[in-house]
Amino acid sequence: MDLFLQYLANGIVIGSAYVLVAIGLTLIFGILGVVNFAHGEFYMLGAYAGVLTVTLLGLPLIAALVVVIAFSAVLGVLAESLLHRALRERDMTSSIIASFGLAVALQNAALLTIGPRPMLLQTDLSMLAVEFGPVFLPLPRFLIPVAMVVLVGLLFGVLRYTWTGRSLRAMAQHRTVARLCGVRVERVAMVTFMVGAGLAGVSGFLMSSVLMVTPIIGNMIVLKAFTVVILGGMGDIMGAAVAGLLLGVVETMTSAYLTNGLRDIIGFVIVIAVLLFRPQGLFGKSVERS
Amino acid sequence: MLAVEGIEAGYGRTRILHGLTIDVPKGGLIALLGGNGTGKSTCLKVIAGLLKPTSGRVTLDGEDITGLAAEDRPGRGLCLVPQGKEVFGTMSVEENLMMGGFHRRRDKAGLAEDLEGVYTRFPRLRERRRVSAGMLSGGERQMLSIGRALMSRPSMLLLDEPSAALAPKVVEEIAEAILGLRELGLSLLLVEQNVGMALEIADHLHVIRGGRIAFSRAVDGGVAPDELRSFYLSGGHDDEA
Repeated sequence: MDLFLQYLANGIVIGSAYVLVAIGLTLIFGILGVVNFAHGEFYMLGAYAGVLTVTLLGLPLIAALVVVIAFSAVLGVLAESLLHRALRERDMTSSIIASFGLAVALQNAALLTIGPRPMLLQTDLSMLAVEFGPVFLPLPRFLIPVAMVVLVGLLFGVLRYTWTGRSLRAMAQHRTVARLCGVRVERVAMVTFMVGAGLAGVSGFLMSSVLMVTPIIGNMIVLKAFTVVILGGMGDIMGAAVAGLLLGVVETMTSAYLTNGLRDIIGFVIVIAVLLFRPQGLFGKSVERS
Repeated sequence: MLAVEGIEAGYGRTRILHGLTIDVPKGGLIALLGGNGTGKSTCLKVIAGLLKPTSGRVTLDGEDITGLAAEDRPGRGLCLVPQGKEVFGTMSVEENLMMGGFHRRRDKAGLAEDLEGVYTRFPRLRERRRVSAGMLSGGERQMLSIGRALMSRPSMLLLDEPSAALAPKVVEEIAEAILGLRELGLSLLLVEQNVGMALEIADHLHVIRGGRIAFSRAVDGGVAPDELRSFYLSGGHDDEA
């Protein structure tokens, strides 16, 4: 039982990282209809931005977090304004292929400039730990679910109570009517990419003290995030939050009680089953009106 | 108020409007009638800025707005209530209404006042203000679309088939609501298939055919329904006249 609780905690930690990546992905899809395969690279570059700020510049973690958020937001804005803006009126395949291209370009740019050597963020925080009964978590891991809850809460607040948030939701629901209300597509697209890339970058930074950072870590995380988005229902933020935690826990349990080799397979097995039997996602309602 | 001059527009290679010209005087209620596919909705899309005309111009209060983005038109007092009673389905009725005031979002007091005004005009919306708009009936949705447009404080309102797919009793209600809008001093351009309703509330009507105005009469003296019917019949259009 004690071990089970420890696995559960580990699963929630990794699941929280999935949530942060998946929410940005589902937001970008739900509002702009862009399937962003370069989302894993936002995660990877956020991780590098954080690790390099700490190791090369010697800045404290909180400053590194600010750098990560700013850097990722700029990255998101560039991806939107240089790539997806021009493709907005085209059909969806154009933006899908373009985002694939961007992913390859960013990965190789990281490989050329930073190199293939894996990096891990080591800080004084790693010496500290949090204990709840039988559960033991090093502080950097404990901070991941905490940051996730804070950021998701913040996002919900913004979407619910601010004009920017309302305009994002309106655009997700009905682009033409939103425009007729005076909402600018360009502004919404920019904010959406900024938020999505920012969340992914923060996730990468938080995970950089748990898993090795290399130029190709985006490949797996983006597939995991797609799994989460499909499980939660495309475009559904709350669904993505629940599905992300669920995937983290299921993976950890699979690895602990079955075999570690199944860890990365189990999510895709579930996603195929969901697509076959419940294509609206685990929590999604089927279409509400014609 | 609003002048549309010699508009040519279409989709891809298909030309729909061939030199359409319409004038909406200040405080007027002009109805634009015509069968399916004659270009009524296309005309409203051009006026609202959703479709760029290939030639011709649209002026509002004497100012050329042909090139103005759709997003900037509500700020000029021009607002379209689109076809199909479109609402933001998962947002509450009140959030839908507030979205209508998006371009003047800094004017908090004014928005609160206008929200109250919409609720007074449509008491049903007040009752259902916390409900998701997707749960509303067709008539309520139409009221919500109109209410949302009113939140932008328009001076020129475009209505695209507000009576479509509604029960006759509800059509009555919508017609009354539209008449009520005239008291606000609004100028209205109403696109309809429901000729009866248009005759009842408009003061001038145009019939569009082949992408241009083919028939035009003031309703004041009462357009003889026969005249209109024979026009429709001679055009080979089968409508619910």
